[in-house]
Amino acid sequence: MNPEKSASVSGAAAPRIRVVDADVHHNIRDKSDLYPYLTNVERARLEEYGMPRNSSLYQANGGWKGARADTFDAGEDVDPRSNFAMFQTKLLDACGIDLAILQVESTPSIVALADVDYSAALLRAINDWSLEHWVARDSRYRLALTIPMHDPAMAVKEIERLGGHPAVIAAYVVCGSPRLYGKREFDPVYAACVDHGLSLSLHFSNEGFGMNPPMTSAGFPSYYAETYLVRPQFYQAHLSSFLFEGTFEKFPKLKVIFCESGFGWVPSFRWRADMAWKELRSQTPWVKRLPSEYIEENVRFTTQPFEESEPPGAVDEIVGWMNGAKTLLYSSDFPHWDFDPPETIPARFGPQVRRQILAENALASYPKLAGLAGV
Amino acid sequence: MPTAHPVCRVSELTPGARKLIEIGGRSIGVFRLSDGRYFALRNRCPHRGAPLCEGRTMGLVTADKPYQLLRQREGEILRCPWHGWEFDVTTGRSVFMPEEVRVKSYPVDVQLSPETTVEKFNVTEAEGMVVLWTD
Repeated sequence: MNPEKSASVSGAAAPRIRVVDADVHHNIRDKSDLYPYLTNVERARLEEYGMPRNSSLYQANGGWKGARADTFDAGEDVDPRSNFAMFQTKLLDACGIDLAILQVESTPSIVALADVDYSAALLRAINDWSLEHWVARDSRYRLALTIPMHDPAMAVKEIERLGGHPAVIAAYVVCGSPRLYGKREFDPVYAACVDHGLSLSLHFSNEGFGMNPPMTSAGFPSYYAETYLVRPQFYQAHLSSFLFEGTFEKFPKLKVIFCESGFGWVPSFRWRADMAWKELRSQTPWVKRLPSEYIEENVRFTTQPFEESEPPGAVDEIVGWMNGAKTLLYSSDFPHWDFDPPETIPARFGPQVRRQILAENALASYPKLAGLAGV
Repeated sequence: MPTAHPVCRVSELTPGARKLIEIGGRSIGVFRLSDGRYFALRNRCPHRGAPLCEGRTMGLVTADKPYQLLRQREGEILRCPWHGWEFDVTTGRSVFMPEEVRVKSYPVDVQLSPETTVEKFNVTEAEGMVVLWTD
């Protein structure tokens, strides 16, 4: 059926969604942006001590201060992540992004705080601020709600508080954690996600920070390039946990989005997971299906940073082995320095697969976007 | 045409025991379960060719929900000695993918030898012969 025609028949005014960007990082410009959303006690603490920071471990990133060097439109001292107008011109308009999923930059350092009450207060404030100052000002934005995952009960409360907002389509969680996310103590969070139609958006960060275990079980890397390379292990650890704790048996509708984890490792992980399951099935008999089937049903992978294989076409095989035509979601990671524009999804994939990766898979992976599919 | 192959006297295969035999160059494991039923499987795991019938038997572990562990049908599941793939002794089907992954299963029964059937009143099962059938 012709999509444009079906839209006119149904009378829907919504334009066809061509590009969904599943991983975009905005931020407050100054700590005072959060003052209106805090109690006087919390505000006084923030005024006195400032925003928590977790960057001291590496004191380095890429690009310029971690961002694309061409995004400092408001001057050297203004964080491009906080430049609302620049996002519109250099991301949404320039790249033809119809929907962008915001995952606020400051979340990880807040989540790493030991004081869960203060942490949760700052996260509530940043959610309220995001909805008021970004989502409400451009209909192309959706929000991945930051939740204090280190305290599951408080995470549930935040989902109950704002999960019903129509623009809140996911709960945003970082990989660094004292406990793997398949552990049953997190089940109430996933139940709340499913109840509110939210997917779980998992992004690296906080490994080795705060009270979390080291970035690798063999110790801390020295350089930022190393941190870039070891990321798949965080995702593999959480994915193993989800699979064998039975998270997807308990929550068959839950979609987990792995953001910025690369995807070249996914086929080999699937093979090894299936192998382990066949050999050790009797120890976790509640895992009823091949792990690869759960992965294909419940887990999605964002594309940025897209694998640069050698030869270039080798990545096509990987995409095939992981059924990337269904499981990959385009992401730009704007305004970070390792940004990928939509053209990164190769034309050789063909128009149908490109459409799926650029938009349709996302519309099928966040329950609240389902209504936009096919218009 | 089904062919009968004598395996051993019933008395030589006690409940819970197994016996490895060779028929036409193929190694086959003959199992007598604790309830007395007989089964036979080809002694070759379809995974990596291991001597499957030298593996341990166990129960079938299942769960209706996460973290539950139920164990039933004790002795009816054969685990490959190498990588632990589980097979149902009674069918030859794997536990994890019963349609796709199986090992050849042969029918086994007990036959009373001609000389004992003549004097029926003297016959006991223990004097019968365990017989395996091939196609």
